[in-house]
Amino acid sequence: MARGRFRRLFGPDPPSDVDAELRFHLEMRIRELVAEGETPERARELALQRFGDYDEPRSECLAINERRRRRMTRTEYVSELRQDIGYALRTLRRTPGFTAVAVITLALGIGANSAIFSVVQGVLLESLPYRSADRLYQPRMLYPDGTLYTALSAPDFMSVRDGNRVFDRVEAYSTGVFTLLGAGEPQEVRGANVTEGLFELLGIPLAIGRGFDAGEHRPGLGSVSVLDYGFWQRAFGGRSDVLGRKVSVGGDPYTIVGVLAHDARLPDTADMYAPLEYGETFSATTATSRRSEYLDVIGRAREGVTEAQVMDDLRRLGTQLQTDFPDTNGRLTFAATSLRDLIVGDVRSPLLMLLGAVGLVLLVACANVANLLLARGSARHGELAVRVAMGAGRGRLLRQLLTESVVLALVGGIAGLLIAYWATGALVAARPADIPRLDQVGLNSTVVLFTLGISLLTGLAFGLLPALQATSGRLIGALREGGRGGGQGRGAHRVRSVLVVAEMALSVILLMGAGLLIRSFVQMTRVAPGFVAEQAMTFRVTLQGDEYTNAQKIQNRVLQFEERLRVLPGVTAVAATTVLPLSGQGSILDFLVVGAPPPPPDINREIAVASITPQYFAAIGASLRSGRVFTEHDRTGAPRVVVVNEAAVRRWFPDGDPVGEQVETGGNRFEVVGVVADVRQRHAGEPVAPQMFVPYAQRTTRAVKFVVRSGSDPIGLAPAVRSEIRQLDPNLAVTDFKALDQLVAGSVARPRFYTALLALFAGVALALAATGIFGVMSYAVAQRSREISIRMALGARAGQVLQMIVGRAVGLATVGTAIGIAGAVALGRLIRTQLYGVGVLDPLTLGVVIVVLIGSAAAASFLPARRAAGLDPANALRDS
Amino acid sequence: MGSIKTPGPDILRGTLDLLILQALSWGPAHGYAVARWIEQATSDALAVGEGTLYPALHRLEERKWISATWGASENNRQAKFYSLTKVGRSRLEVEADNWRRYAAAVFAALKAPALR
Repeated sequence: MARGRFRRLFGPDPPSDVDAELRFHLEMRIRELVAEGETPERARELALQRFGDYDEPRSECLAINERRRRRMTRTEYVSELRQDIGYALRTLRRTPGFTAVAVITLALGIGANSAIFSVVQGVLLESLPYRSADRLYQPRMLYPDGTLYTALSAPDFMSVRDGNRVFDRVEAYSTGVFTLLGAGEPQEVRGANVTEGLFELLGIPLAIGRGFDAGEHRPGLGSVSVLDYGFWQRAFGGRSDVLGRKVSVGGDPYTIVGVLAHDARLPDTADMYAPLEYGETFSATTATSRRSEYLDVIGRAREGVTEAQVMDDLRRLGTQLQTDFPDTNGRLTFAATSLRDLIVGDVRSPLLMLLGAVGLVLLVACANVANLLLARGSARHGELAVRVAMGAGRGRLLRQLLTESVVLALVGGIAGLLIAYWATGALVAARPADIPRLDQVGLNSTVVLFTLGISLLTGLAFGLLPALQATSGRLIGALREGGRGGGQGRGAHRVRSVLVVAEMALSVILLMGAGLLIRSFVQMTRVAPGFVAEQAMTFRVTLQGDEYTNAQKIQNRVLQFEERLRVLPGVTAVAATTVLPLSGQGSILDFLVVGAPPPPPDINREIAVASITPQYFAAIGASLRSGRVFTEHDRTGAPRVVVVNEAAVRRWFPDGDPVGEQVETGGNRFEVVGVVADVRQRHAGEPVAPQMFVPYAQRTTRAVKFVVRSGSDPIGLAPAVRSEIRQLDPNLAVTDFKALDQLVAGSVARPRFYTALLALFAGVALALAATGIFGVMSYAVAQRSREISIRMALGARAGQVLQMIVGRAVGLATVGTAIGIAGAVALGRLIRTQLYGVGVLDPLTLGVVIVVLIGSAAAASFLPARRAAGLDPANALRDS
Repeated sequence: MGSIKTPGPDILRGTLDLLILQALSWGPAHGYAVARWIEQATSDALAVGEGTLYPALHRLEERKWISATWGASENNRQAKFYSLTKVGRSRLEVEADNWRRYAAAVFAALKAPALR
């Protein structure tokens, strides 16, 4: 029994307590009865009788006690937690320097994570704004050379629509740029022709008016249009009487019948929508026009159908079409991309890469704070020892220390949220090159929860090691040692070295990543764009109105513009074009070499077409490889001529110079008169596709871009240019003044954005790691000051001491670098898709990273080393 | 106290609580002493299934009307001693007062003349 009481030290033991109490009662009663003269047996019997049921009261007591115990544990826990938090806050206030450094470090790490997470969440995780968005796929054409065409031809679309077994709806649209007349100033609009069920499939509602009837898709009717909401606001002031209004789009009359809901848009944005005309090629059985691809198709998979099943079925369908239409589809098949991949596919891996990078930064921050805590741990040894002496168990101390780090992390997390708030705003404002759905990004509740979550984890992560370290070993011994407090020993120092090595390794990974991206970026910008971006500018004019009723009048006016601009001071060349470099491909036609054996019908015959005036190549600075450029003799009615780029020569004239050859495209025959060097069409990192140039006089468009090359400060010419154009026609809108090199900058904006962010993160990590090594070396010097002094007393020179300390730091950095390089190689595939022209193990990057890292380690250890070298031997000896 | 009496009427729980509080009003006591006091004070009229005393004690302890400590009994055994808390003491006054008024009312009613 007595021993039972002592067991209470280790927590209450209710069953034995209750039994003891009840049994005591019975024994007392028996004693009394025996004293009154009963036999012990009889006394026992009577006592039990009097007591009544034993088990019922016993279990009732136990239940009450259990209830009580639980309530008490809870309140005890809460009050202890409150105590711990209060204590933590007091401790943190007592050491403002430590607290500030830790909070800033954590806020940087956590804030960066929150900011990037908010981008990832908005862009990648939020569902697309479409009905059943997860079941939407875009069927595509897979060519034998591996190119995946976004578009399908009308008959192939119908074959997919009728022949598939996985989709319950298949719809399509095609987009183009048209001139809109009848709504204020003439303007260019993006138009989309859509099938009758597209809006319904995507779940896009109308704000006002109606959508399209099935009957309106018959060819030759083409007369109704639905407006995009934003365009309705911009071009029609959001007026509801727009319904019924007649406008001209691309020369055809349209009646506006509806407006899409606010924020509703297709995967490709458009200003105006019209019914797709179902011509005779809209047939699953026809063999004609199967290789004229212009429809973007969206299919909705049935409930429960997986992506793999969609792919399988489309492959099956492709195989069937190979048999049915061997001439056109013989070597082609279908593939599918989920709509989500289509929209965010090319930003997913860079964004995830950035998320990984900030994760590493946070790890470095953790290691750094852990290091700080370890260093402080030695200072707090005495305090902890006192608490142990006063009866706190190791578990209790651990809990208190962990509470401290979690409180620290939460404070850091809250500061991090502020940083993230600012950073997210800055990221979104930077509008990095059309990252899709960036408008969805912001600090919402998910991001806040994420931040609190990682703060908690962070607190546990950096707090655990130091807490274990601080509560391990002979705390009582430390108390006995008194104020010396330095009893942390080699163990802790080794832990701190390991942490620093880890920081170095993580920084190396980040530095490697940043270095490789920077190298890629440099490579990308160094790639000859095929033209001279400096000292030239461009602007856009659309020749519309009463003065421009036919092609001849338009040509004449363009000619007049050129003549006027050519005489402006400093101007060396002026030309007009329909498609600028690095601005997309423009019109696409099929290309055929006359006299060459007919190519198999299922190979890609596309070529991009641009109309240019004679001085174009001089104006953009592209060099002619052979033949001639156009002259004013290549006019309307003169023999049709064409200049092709080298990519076209590589594809269709592998045997040599095509000058003099006849080619056929868009139903016309041309003579090739020249070959021009490749000019980048979309962006610098992409191979150049075949392109042909025709004289503007033989293929005239209303919308033209002028290129003006001048001696210097091209954009400074803008006012003069504008006034010249005004003098000829004051009604023309002259827009998009731009230096040509802005096109180059724009084409690399996305890689520049990713590179800048990664470099920033790597820089932060490096700074943290350097701080870490500085801390460790300072501590080591402080710890070893006696030893160093003795060495110096024994004749070691300052230089040797310096060398010893710096050498140790460099040693740690070397180990960290080696591990980091191994890690970078292992993680290399994550970044490979972002690289251009460099390998994952680029020797230059590797070399720079090694030098930077070891250099920073040496630099960070220099101060502590100098302090060590300056120690006065006498002092240390006197101290002891 | 050698004989066994037929158990008296069941004590209402509230009454038992009141008697326990009263029993402890003279100082700490263990469960058996409380039982003995009730036995004597009521001439054993309320003879209990004594076991039911203990859940009542534990419940009062849970309500913080009484508190408990382990200590040595008169014959030097470990026993659980209960004592009134401050709350318990004021509770006792209220409950006793209630009971007195209640009993007086019932008693008065029993002495009242017949309905006319």
